[in-house]
Amino acid sequence: MDDRNPNALRRSLLIAGSTLALAPRLALAQAKYPSRPVDFVVPWGPGGGADQLARRLGSLIEKDLGTSLPILNIAGATGNTGMTKLLSAPPDGHTMAVFIADTLGTLAGGKGRYKLADLAPLGIMIRQPSGFFVKADAKWKTFDELLADAKKGEIKVGITGFGGPDEMHVVKFNEQGAKFRPVPFAKPGERYASVLGGHADVVIEQAGDVRSFLDSKQMRPIVFFADQPQVGYESIALAKQHGVTLAISQFRAIVMRAGTDPKHVATMAAAMDKAAQSAEFKKYLADELAFADSYIPAAKAGPFLAEQLALIDANMPKS
Amino acid sequence: MEILSLLATGFAQLFTPVNLMVLAAGLVLGMLVAVLPGLTLVMGVVLALPFTYKMGVAPALILLTAMYVSGTYGGAITAILFRIPGEPMDVPLIWDGYEMAKRGEAALALGWSLVAALVGGLVSAVVMVLLAKPVAGIALAFSTPEFFAIVFFGLASVVTLSGSSLANALISLCLGLLIATVGVDEVYGADRFTFGQPFLQDGIEFLLVMVGAYGIGEVLTRMSTGFAAPEGGAGQGTGRFRTAFPSLAQIFALKATFARSTATGIVVGVVPGAGATVSAFVAYGLESQYGKNRAALGSGAPEGIVAAKSAATASVGGALVPLLAMGIPGSGATAIILAAFLLHGIQPGPQVFVANAELVYTVFATVFAAVIGMCILGYFAIRPLCKVLDAPEAIVSAFVVVFCFVGAFAARNNLSDLNVIAAFGVLGFLFERYGFPIAPLVLGTILGPLAETNFMTTMVSFDNDWTVFFTRPISGGILAFAAAGLAWPLAKAVWKRVHDSRRAHARPG
Repeated sequence: MDDRNPNALRRSLLIAGSTLALAPRLALAQAKYPSRPVDFVVPWGPGGGADQLARRLGSLIEKDLGTSLPILNIAGATGNTGMTKLLSAPPDGHTMAVFIADTLGTLAGGKGRYKLADLAPLGIMIRQPSGFFVKADAKWKTFDELLADAKKGEIKVGITGFGGPDEMHVVKFNEQGAKFRPVPFAKPGERYASVLGGHADVVIEQAGDVRSFLDSKQMRPIVFFADQPQVGYESIALAKQHGVTLAISQFRAIVMRAGTDPKHVATMAAAMDKAAQSAEFKKYLADELAFADSYIPAAKAGPFLAEQLALIDANMPKS
Repeated sequence: MEILSLLATGFAQLFTPVNLMVLAAGLVLGMLVAVLPGLTLVMGVVLALPFTYKMGVAPALILLTAMYVSGTYGGAITAILFRIPGEPMDVPLIWDGYEMAKRGEAALALGWSLVAALVGGLVSAVVMVLLAKPVAGIALAFSTPEFFAIVFFGLASVVTLSGSSLANALISLCLGLLIATVGVDEVYGADRFTFGQPFLQDGIEFLLVMVGAYGIGEVLTRMSTGFAAPEGGAGQGTGRFRTAFPSLAQIFALKATFARSTATGIVVGVVPGAGATVSAFVAYGLESQYGKNRAALGSGAPEGIVAAKSAATASVGGALVPLLAMGIPGSGATAIILAAFLLHGIQPGPQVFVANAELVYTVFATVFAAVIGMCILGYFAIRPLCKVLDAPEAIVSAFVVVFCFVGAFAARNNLSDLNVIAAFGVLGFLFERYGFPIAPLVLGTILGPLAETNFMTTMVSFDNDWTVFFTRPISGGILAFAAAGLAWPLAKAVWKRVHDSRRAHARPG
């Protein structure tokens, strides 16, 4: 071996290696899609709602597509670290990502480094209304009682973070004279403990996420921000009955990079559609206490996202 | 008595061939993921979760619980032998464990870590079984001011890690805290020190600082001396040691350390969001302020290993308490175990002790069996692992570097992280060279964000009233301990200086 010039050797090995690796791949790419595993970016930590959705969808569509969907958890910056990963990958249909309401919120006011138009939605998979939840033995029986107390004195509300939909809902009531004080708890466990331990009076959540506390009678909902009643809690008040019509639901969508071959987008969207119609997925929606009509197919997903962004834009709390 | 018979049912559930195999698999997997710095214990449990979908609920919980338990041990091995903390909770093990290994006592250091894990794990398991319901209440008593106080206590332990110069230690700590502020602020979302660089927006992962400064930094330091093994250095790990375990008398002499740190581990473990890492740091801090042998801590004292390891393992039992009794996941790994419960249609909470008592006690039995199994596994791993140290150091170092880089990449699949880890390797090398301790730097980057978030949340929640930290009894008490621990060495140093200068002045006159 030529020890004096290791670079030359390495270079030729590299070229040889990459040629070998690329040659069949190029040929296949023209023949069929997907030609290799599709990276499924989850811009949130493992175990959370986005992660669970991705893993469930992955197992439902893998067989259909004939390839695997490795999950990449790339958390950070309200989902934008993962979105950067998606947007820096080539638009060849071999990378897709979970995109949720909170991440959409960071694009409000055109502040994000990318725009909604840079994304090609494959479908909105799940939508859950947010609501106020109190400890089961809290003194407020109805939302009217809570609201009356909030007008007299300060009520602490646990939220995921400032600037997101959670805070917007709270601010709407404060504009009507309530004194809700939003307190950010980024980690779900801390958020739940805050209300159960009495460090916050109310917590904003989605019913599916706190289901264990609801079923074990540790928490109960007191109002929901939705146009339609929450499944399983039809008797609970809706915010619009109390003068707040803003209702930004938590949603989780699947997106690809804009500019991907429309045929590839259509193939993947069709796979999503098939998965969404499956009994297994419908059971998942029911378990999560999500809207039964959560799923919005690719064709209507774009306008839905634009409409939600406009809603967030219009209600951005002034900092 | 009812508890005992229930526990017996739990063991009966566990001791079936299939479940025992699952337990063994969980133990091995947990240890493997814990060894690799980027592949954290939480990540490992997540990767295992899909495999449990098709299992029965008992084996699923046994697998994840076993992984959780043994995942708190694996990183101790790499921390002690190679100065690579496999998990952030293993950082304090470096301070004494690696020092012992450098003296040629690697096997003994690992032996101490096993004993510590065994004692901490078993005691916390007993507490968990007996007191699950009353202890669960602690979890709810702690809010952000208390949490801030605990983390502050951990940061205050810096004075004991100062090595020769307290000033250098404080500079190192402040640099660590500064690094921790890089990125988008968690409460208000402001960009800090990002200089418009996308990769800085997400902050600098403490993992990169930790693995870079310790792992790569040490390799660079050793390389600069041409890998000449110092007399009695880490090069001869096995040869001279017949026994790897401390004697019973030695263990008994450290009973106060065991008691203190196990109790710390349980209590901190119960608090949601704290977990093994904070427990290990706080227990080490306690040891350095109140331990009998506090002067020797940081220079290869077994107390340091025992404090950190027994607290980290004890936190497992602690963290399972709020999960089972209230359905609140206190840490990343327990959040996944919660998911496994929910996937099988069982909701942890007060009712689970009645409705699914058998299952709860199977989890309890698993913790007991896993702690013991993990120690047996560790015991058999010690000797072959110490053999690695007999290989030429240059070759071992090459593997250490590869290991650090693979670990750093596995964490986020981000290439720019590799540059960051290399940069911190150089920084670690320079620190070592110019007498700055690395420990406070790493401590600052790990605990800094926790301290900041809890401080800010408290200020938001209590209308910017900073007195709550002192007027709330628990947080006030913890802060008083921390302040005393900080002030005492400072006062001593100042007094010594004044005294010395007086004498110096007195002499010529």
